[in-house]
Amino acid sequence: MLQAPDTYPIDRPPLKSTISMAYTLTPGRAAGTFMVETGKRRFVGSRCVSSGLVCVPAQDFCPRTGGADIELVVAPEAGTLTGFTQTAAGILATIRIDGADFDFVHKIVDSSLVDLKIGARVQAVWADASTQSILDISGFQLAPNAPIGKIAPLSDPADPLPMKPYPLDLHYEHAFGPFYGRLFDEIGSRHRIMGVRSTSGEGVLIPPREFDDISFTRTGTWVTLPDTGTVSAMSVIHLEFRGQKEPPPYIYAEIQLDGAVTRLIHSIKGIDMSRASELVKPGTRVRAVWSTSRTGSLSDISHFEPIPELNSANATDM
Amino acid sequence: MGNPNRVAVVACAQTELRAAWSNAQHVDLISSTVSNLLKGSGVALADIDFVIDSGSDVLDGRSISNCGFLGAMGAHHKEESRVEEDGLWAASYGINKIAAGAAEIGLIIAYSKPSESDVSLFYASQVEPFYQRPVGFDHLAASGLQAQQYVVRGGGREADFAKVVVRSWEKASGNPHVAVGQVPSHDEIAAGEYVASPLRRHMMSRPVDGCVAILLASADVARRLSATPVWVTGMGSAMDSHAFAVRAPGRVEACEVAAKAAFARSGVDPRTVSLAEVSGSSAAGEMMVLEALGLAKPGQGFEAYGGSTAINLSGGALPADPIMATGLVRLAEACRQMTVPGDYGLSNVKSAIVHATGGVGMQSHCVFTLEV
Amino acid sequence: MSRHVGIVGIGQTHHARRRTDVSQAGLVREAVDRALADAKLTIDDIDSIVIATGPVLFAAVNMPEKWVVDACGGRLKPVVRVTSGGGTGLAGALAGYYQIAGGQHERVLVVAYDKLSEGNLQYSISTLYDPFWGREFAVGIMGFSAAYWRARMDVLGHTEEAAAMVSVKNHKNALKNPYAHVKKVITVDDVMKSRPLAWPIKLLDVPPISDGAAAIVLSSEKMAAKSTDRPAWIRGMGYFCEADNAASRSMLVSEPLALAARRVYRAAGITDPRRQFDVVEVQEPYTCFELSYYESLGLCAPGEAAELIASGATEIDGDIPVNPSGGCMGANPIGATGLIRLIEAAAQVMGKAGDHQIPNAKLALAQSGGGWANLRGVAVLSA
Repeated sequence: MLQAPDTYPIDRPPLKSTISMAYTLTPGRAAGTFMVETGKRRFVGSRCVSSGLVCVPAQDFCPRTGGADIELVVAPEAGTLTGFTQTAAGILATIRIDGADFDFVHKIVDSSLVDLKIGARVQAVWADASTQSILDISGFQLAPNAPIGKIAPLSDPADPLPMKPYPLDLHYEHAFGPFYGRLFDEIGSRHRIMGVRSTSGEGVLIPPREFDDISFTRTGTWVTLPDTGTVSAMSVIHLEFRGQKEPPPYIYAEIQLDGAVTRLIHSIKGIDMSRASELVKPGTRVRAVWSTSRTGSLSDISHFEPIPELNSANATDM
Repeated sequence: MGNPNRVAVVACAQTELRAAWSNAQHVDLISSTVSNLLKGSGVALADIDFVIDSGSDVLDGRSISNCGFLGAMGAHHKEESRVEEDGLWAASYGINKIAAGAAEIGLIIAYSKPSESDVSLFYASQVEPFYQRPVGFDHLAASGLQAQQYVVRGGGREADFAKVVVRSWEKASGNPHVAVGQVPSHDEIAAGEYVASPLRRHMMSRPVDGCVAILLASADVARRLSATPVWVTGMGSAMDSHAFAVRAPGRVEACEVAAKAAFARSGVDPRTVSLAEVSGSSAAGEMMVLEALGLAKPGQGFEAYGGSTAINLSGGALPADPIMATGLVRLAEACRQMTVPGDYGLSNVKSAIVHATGGVGMQSHCVFTLEV
Repeated sequence: MSRHVGIVGIGQTHHARRRTDVSQAGLVREAVDRALADAKLTIDDIDSIVIATGPVLFAAVNMPEKWVVDACGGRLKPVVRVTSGGGTGLAGALAGYYQIAGGQHERVLVVAYDKLSEGNLQYSISTLYDPFWGREFAVGIMGFSAAYWRARMDVLGHTEEAAAMVSVKNHKNALKNPYAHVKKVITVDDVMKSRPLAWPIKLLDVPPISDGAAAIVLSSEKMAAKSTDRPAWIRGMGYFCEADNAASRSMLVSEPLALAARRVYRAAGITDPRRQFDVVEVQEPYTCFELSYYESLGLCAPGEAAELIASGATEIDGDIPVNPSGGCMGANPIGATGLIRLIEAAAQVMGKAGDHQIPNAKLALAQSGGGWANLRGVAVLSA
């Protein structure tokens, strides 16, 4: 039985990471019209002309045939319960609106599970205020006497909603594992950068890993790397964007630490930024400037800065 | 047979499937699995023509997550593609590539670490964002509705749900590849809290961490490498409509279509296969899949477990569902059962069905038929 | 053993900075309808669908193929998504190609799209970086791309002026492309003076952010005649990778691209790409990459790219036209872009490239790629 490597005991709590996106979604004609019309308390469906099938709420394409020849209709607010379940989100049900050929899912409100029966009549409950969403209908409630409604043409349809904000947060807890675990323990506790020997050639792999990417054999012993290195590539960042951690301008640098055969990504500071592209180049010698914090992450290195004496010496040699 | 383009599985490896591999990263699981796969397979990394892998950016918390795992996969400077669906679809890609004569040996990898992320959001984020997501519709709700439909429309019996779960966990507890812990008793399961009525706590598949890898080879190479190559004789897949509510209730139509395609290709009659490894995302779902595969009559999925085909001797997906890898694990399990049948109490093993599913309420299905 | 596969139908949307009239699904449908109409087929004639998109975090829907399946008319058909960063469109076509070449299917629809206006592009791409190791410094893939361009300047002479010429050429070509949405005449001076974003990358080195979709119908030889008497035959296609932080990885010449080209050229009988190809379509996420691709694809020797662009050889009327469609500069819906390059190459050998047709184009090269500049593919098409 295969076990993951266990070269170093790890008791680091996982790295917490959140990706926090601010989407703006375009619903398209059918859903876009639906979301505006709910504000007028009209419940919009769609009829596919070629198949004759009616879908509520409205869709741009017939769910059965894929037909795109869609006309929007006003659907009745009543229908029949065709199935239900209860989850932490409440009671969710499949509902067949009167006159529709397909079910859809919405919440059941004002009832408990034991009250529900397949075949029961239900009716939409409108929310007090419109948010231009499916939740303008808070849900459906049991309505034994709800009359059977009919699909009707939609007169003067509203312009579809062009876009809707949609925030989405994704949370992660990433395990360190034995190799990253030791790497960041050493960085946090001793301000020491450690890699492992490559087995496809001379040099040290950082971040350390169990298998050499090229030879695909187990990597060698742990090696302490100096905190000096050479810039292999750099750019000067002026762009601002959502999610950025540092205000521009700053230098994005890929650095090869002395003895390493892989790259480390960091920023370079301690220079006159108006002359950044002259002062930092591929080949520039740099040194890590450690921060006072010991968090056990790459941010324990505050930044890298050029090593002045070495760089000027190089310049003279040339 | 006599088909020159036949493709076989010649080796399989996997990590233990655990609730959480909290002391390993994705790359640790992947590289150790691939290394273990190569060991004793007669194949060196240089012999591998291509890598097709399965994983999920949303589960991994990285964009283009294959991009950062290439070295761990042994893919450096090889042809590589990511199929962002269960690994059985990745295997299907690899089989096509070898059948086309474009390669001789392919490495297929599937992995996930759902313990690092929010599985409910992984599924909820698959749901269309305008009508369904805002009302709280997700995989749990779909599975609950599906289970109710199975009983009301499909003729299934709710009393069988707990029995399926008990059986699955018992099988899994004898499976060295699954870390089971305490096997829940029938009473515990039958009295468990509802998570999506009529489904109770243990009746949904349990997400686990793990990695699986297999080697595929062309006919000539397979015969050279393995005394018992497992031949893939048929493949089929199908995806149903996005909206769960518009799918045919009480059955899994896309699975029926996928199975029909695989059986047509291989000429397999499901009633005669020796064993089946299937992926159900709930107890009801597993029985519905068995029915769709022709291993039981409609509404009688539970009867399949007592039939002539050995079903999910591994325990199946209910005790161990490494999302994105579950179906490829089924393939690996089926291959092991076919190559060393004695270890599983089997004899006279000739053929198998392997099944994978993906999506909310099992929207998509992939079916393989195998022969030895 | 391998069966011949041809592209028998192509379609793309009129790309835009933002389409507020259609959802992602509606956008996909436009491209599908066009490709099917071009192939004189309906969705019923299609055995299988491959969907390709950029990374799912570009949009708000995980596993988006499971949403857009209905818009494709794919219900109860095999539908699978292939993803490979920016090169996903070509990677998707490759998966479809093998479904036919391996004998599983006769006709496959390949659909690729992105609706980038709906997400946070640089932020999403930044999540490509390892959360432990460098993500906090990521500027999408722009900071990285600019950094290695800077390195190539010193070693290979890929100057800012040479890259600016790429921008000028591709912008000019895009004027003739009805599907492009950036239509602007610019000069080398305009590019040089444009605002630095990640120096040396400046605003006019960068393609637009676009909403767009593309689709092709792939067919076996047996079934191709129903659609066209002039398919674009796939003579070779491959997609290679490089471990992102392997020892001594060279960022100067793209090794995975050179590998892919070598392999595919061998299959297609290409020994002198500069002379044999009538037209080339490359995916240039930034202008600097087009220079690098000239060298990795063997259109010129390493270190000669600046000279090649300056010579005018890659202009639409040059001896080796590159990106007569305008490339990414006219439109860049990333998930679709790789497939758009393939479509533009196919249109050339099918003789339907319209105003940017290269006369008598018979042999075309398409390139695409993504990730850390480590996922790279090429395709060779012939009339």
